[in-house]
Amino acid sequence: MKKTCIFQDTDNTKKTADLLEVARRMYGNEPFESHAVILEGPSDEIYGAFHHIIRLSAGLVEGFDSRGICDVLENLHQTNTFDSILIPATCLGEMIAPRLAVRLQTGLAAGVTDIGRNGDRIAFIRPACSGKRLQGLEHTGEGPVVMSIRPNAFEYTSGGGVETEMSEYTQPVTSRTAVKRLHSEANKQTYDIRDSEVLISGGNGVKDCFPKLYPLADALNGTVAASRKLVDQGIAPRQIQVGQSGKTVSPRLYMALGIHGSMPHMAGLRQIETIISVNRSSHAPVCSLSDIVVQGDAAEFIDKLMAKMLSADPKKKDR
Amino acid sequence: MKMICVVKFVPDLDSIVHDGENNTMTGNNSRMILNPDDACALAFALQVKAEDPDGSIEVVSMGPPSVRPHMEDLLRRDVDRGTLICDSVFDGSDPSVTSRVLARYIATRPFDCLLTGSHSLDGGTAQVPVQLAELLDLDQMLGISRMDPDRFDRKRAVFQVAEEKSVTTYEMAMPCVLSLTRESGYKLPYPRLTDMRRDVSDELAVITNQALGFSTTEVGQTGSPMKIVTTRPKTYDKKERHIVQNDEAGISFVVDFLKERGFL
Repeated sequence: MKKTCIFQDTDNTKKTADLLEVARRMYGNEPFESHAVILEGPSDEIYGAFHHIIRLSAGLVEGFDSRGICDVLENLHQTNTFDSILIPATCLGEMIAPRLAVRLQTGLAAGVTDIGRNGDRIAFIRPACSGKRLQGLEHTGEGPVVMSIRPNAFEYTSGGGVETEMSEYTQPVTSRTAVKRLHSEANKQTYDIRDSEVLISGGNGVKDCFPKLYPLADALNGTVAASRKLVDQGIAPRQIQVGQSGKTVSPRLYMALGIHGSMPHMAGLRQIETIISVNRSSHAPVCSLSDIVVQGDAAEFIDKLMAKMLSADPKKKDR
Repeated sequence: MKMICVVKFVPDLDSIVHDGENNTMTGNNSRMILNPDDACALAFALQVKAEDPDGSIEVVSMGPPSVRPHMEDLLRRDVDRGTLICDSVFDGSDPSVTSRVLARYIATRPFDCLLTGSHSLDGGTAQVPVQLAELLDLDQMLGISRMDPDRFDRKRAVFQVAEEKSVTTYEMAMPCVLSLTRESGYKLPYPRLTDMRRDVSDELAVITNQALGFSTTEVGQTGSPMKIVTTRPKTYDKKERHIVQNDEAGISFVVDFLKERGFL
């Protein structure tokens, strides 16, 4: 039976189980044994989805020590001989997966967003050229395939009902790291745009009025996201960036305000039910994907839409 | 303070856009630029060197001969030495092979710190800086959004990383690999007017596989465990769209649509 090892999504533990979809797509109808490796926090949200949940002992390795975490995964592989090791491409995951691939002398499929088939062979699909092209990769070397998976690229819907065996990993790590965490300050940003059903997203066209997006998002029970242009200018934090170098999102409603829609931005949009775009040009690339294109200035649109919604529902004025 | 900056020149992909009408790419991708994250790392190194009379910077890149003028352009900005690793046997190497080639060269050079960008504009997977660190047995950090220039010396570096839930300050002992992001905001200075036409060809070393000694089965496509088997433009399903104006009728249409879909 195939064995897959999945490392925790430390940004959002419940999304760890979504990586089971990668294994399901790789192995088809063939049953596979799943191992989750949990570095920190509770694992209740994934209990019943994995056959094995392996928790690292408290204090065994720091959450930023990619070399120590690689020790753990390397040792677990030596014991279990995994066929695949799947790591979410979070900030931490991007520091683990390439190191692990070097240690195991195997190939790394980095930033995978889809699984395809090339005859009997598995193809790992990932965006390339800033999302303008899709590359299919095949692993031809020895050893397990190590993959980093773009967050939110997969959704596992048939989870639950698995008899889960819990265990603790206690073997001391051997790599010596000379990294110290001096201090940490929590972000003011408290939400994860990947969890939002409604995203009000701003681009260069709203750079002078970006704060206006927040009341509109509140009125639609949504959250605010941004394009890379606004992040690069320091107007929006990186945590809310959509796109190839940001996050992949799948809201029910995506409102693109003043966003041109470069290919790297659109690479971050996946299975979105409804897109409304507001742009001076109806030929902007994002408009071709939209259900509604509002031709005009995005800042003016926000004012007018807010006024219309408030007049339609005066109770919202009191909020 | 000896710093090595590992950089990559990438196609300027921002100029390519998706033509929604024809579902094709438009624009010119022939122009090469210094990868923006790498430019920030080099700009920081130049800032350190400006304050440190003993500071030195070597820029290392692996690429085709066409990269040479770009490397020379960097040498006109107070970079001490440039090294271009260039050999047709490396063509088609995947990032893991690229890391091995770069690491073999860098292992022969003296340095206190390796500075790189975090992500490349074209691939964006941050694989090379991490694998370089593993191959050189060094600590490494991705996503550095700010360096502390007062606590950056031959013994240690202090820096900030903007993570998903927090902004964290770390200290890392040297030698190490530090990978900056564009958010760090370091800007490359323009070359001085007197340097614009300076002949810097003597300061650029071109290293081939003769110096590195890989067998042909270790590098290029043959040596790469991951093979690219397909590549195709990303296309999108076009939708039936309604184009409205930003006026009373248009806004009413949007509000009605939002109500109909249950968003209001």
